[in-house]
Amino acid sequence: MPTQPATANRPKQSLTVDEKVQKMRELYADAPEIGKAALENGLPTLTEALAAPSAKQTAGRIGLRQGKVSELCVFLPFVKGGAKRLRGFLELLDGNFRAADAVGTVHDMRFVFVDNDTKLLFATAYDGDFDPYIDDFATKIPNAMDLWLCNCEGYPGMRSGKAKQWIFDHQIAAEAWYVNSPNLTAAETRRLEKVGKAVEELLDKIG
Amino acid sequence: MLSVKESVGGQVVTHAPTLDLDEIQAIVLRPRPAPYFGTHVLLRIDDAAAGREFLRRLTPHIGSSAHWWSAANTWLAIGISYAGLEALGVPQDSLQSFPEAFRVGMAARARQLRDEGVNDPKHWEAPFGTGQVHIGVSALSDSEENWRRALEIARKQYEAFSGVTVLRSQNFGFQPGDLNPLGYKDGIDQPAIEGSGAEPLPGQGPLIKAGEFILGYPGEAGAPLPMPQPDILGRNSTYVGFRKYQSRVGAFNRFLRAHGSTEEERELLAAKLVGRWRSGAPLTLAPEADDAVLGADAQRNNDFDYANDVRGLKAPLGCHIRRMNPRDTQLTRLTDVNLHRLIRRGTTYGPPYDPNAVSPEADEIPRGAIFMFISAKAMATMEFLQQEWIDEGNFVGLGEERDPIIGRQEEGASFTIPHEPVRRRVHGIDTFNVLRGGEYFFMPSISALTWIANLSG
Repeated sequence: MPTQPATANRPKQSLTVDEKVQKMRELYADAPEIGKAALENGLPTLTEALAAPSAKQTAGRIGLRQGKVSELCVFLPFVKGGAKRLRGFLELLDGNFRAADAVGTVHDMRFVFVDNDTKLLFATAYDGDFDPYIDDFATKIPNAMDLWLCNCEGYPGMRSGKAKQWIFDHQIAAEAWYVNSPNLTAAETRRLEKVGKAVEELLDKIG
Repeated sequence: MLSVKESVGGQVVTHAPTLDLDEIQAIVLRPRPAPYFGTHVLLRIDDAAAGREFLRRLTPHIGSSAHWWSAANTWLAIGISYAGLEALGVPQDSLQSFPEAFRVGMAARARQLRDEGVNDPKHWEAPFGTGQVHIGVSALSDSEENWRRALEIARKQYEAFSGVTVLRSQNFGFQPGDLNPLGYKDGIDQPAIEGSGAEPLPGQGPLIKAGEFILGYPGEAGAPLPMPQPDILGRNSTYVGFRKYQSRVGAFNRFLRAHGSTEEERELLAAKLVGRWRSGAPLTLAPEADDAVLGADAQRNNDFDYANDVRGLKAPLGCHIRRMNPRDTQLTRLTDVNLHRLIRRGTTYGPPYDPNAVSPEADEIPRGAIFMFISAKAMATMEFLQQEWIDEGNFVGLGEERDPIIGRQEEGASFTIPHEPVRRRVHGIDTFNVLRGGEYFFMPSISALTWIANLSG
């Protein structure tokens, strides 16, 4: 089980821009030459970012959020044969993730096999807090969840009522999190796609 | 098989109940009578031994759900907060077995409950959110005389001890026509619970597994929900989210007047906000005008789904009742509606709805509703509802739009009414119900109460 970095609840720093620049110089004092040069040359641009108010928010118990979009990253050891099974399963799915479509809050997912196929790194961007819908997964898509997670050590099963805690136990909070459109949920994005198309059609008729 | 019995709520009991009705507190399964009279009393325990003695004396008078369908309708209910369990000397390992949201209390979960702005705990009435509320006792009856008698029984038990202090006592009661403070008949749609013996009322939906509402039984996913330990403490117990709202009747009437030029237009707008006319008649069945006969008929007033109103041309997607129970509405997020239901026991206080009140002063008249939301995971469900279905609109494609009745509105908020050829968007919707306080209570079974009362140390 990975240990939780202290980032999640670190007290907010309220440094001035000058103090932040000073801090950067200290951090990069023993950096490789490329880094030192980049700091000096890039300082004007960097100063603008450092002057902006904090855009960092937390998502539920662990993890970060920007606007409405949160990140979840778990590091899961495979059971014996788990990597082979999951790889085969994902190949057969061939990029079609119907269950994720149905969930409606998932922006993206990545499945990365690391450490010589002994661990799975799963990372996703989703809307809102992590807690609210996990119980719904247990009654609506338990098989879709069990099919991939059964390949990971200690997975208690979606119907056990313990899966939420198990996922939390394996979660690693990101140190930083960036979202291009932090106010657009997955549902909103799909709605805007439809609206945009309808507007173009309307304009076509007029024009 | 029992003989068919009809309950006070109009439900028909045809099956032998499989739940331990003798153990489950009356308020969990008994529908609120009409008319009704009652009092909520909030207490603090200053001495563990005195608190336990109080519990020992009160427990024989706490109503159970046995024969919940019978008309004899006077009962006492009791809930204990986490601070109360501590004050009563419940052992540490047992305390730690309660869920986190319950342990820290409702005020500390303000962020998760979206209790911000005017609803922020810093504006709450004392003693809510102070950590001093240890016990809540509610007396409820269908007659004034029996209510006073029940309250007297409770009073005798807590007045006998110096170690138990009354913090606040609030009477509530029936309003003419059984209307809520905004002038609607409400409390119509309740979840149907498997094993209670009841046949669901038409439209009440499938029976929901008892474990969603009462600890110790299988829930919808199959397994029982996590239960505080030891088993005797958890089984047949449940949780209550206690919320006191003040209704801003002036703001509500001002909004209706600003957006409707005739009485007819105003009443249609009022119905669109709720999804029901004032009589309780649902828009889905009576889209054009109120139908008082339909509203009063428990066999018909909830007998609908949204299959023929997918876009919300009758009942808007964002109206109050469609948010609180979307039924078969197509939602943008994978949702099992059965997992997000609560048993609601609503009680109104203060003067009745006044359709002519339009002044800001009318908003400050103490008048509103106190709700007891009951579920085996009341904390998680209330957080879900506040985050997803009340102070949000994305789940039905409405962006940031909020529940028009119990949502907390931001400046410039709007309400969308689907219409042909184009939807109407009503701007400037205000907050009509302000949260004045709340607490989470554990509602122990009769055996659990006895177990706590007999703790030593």
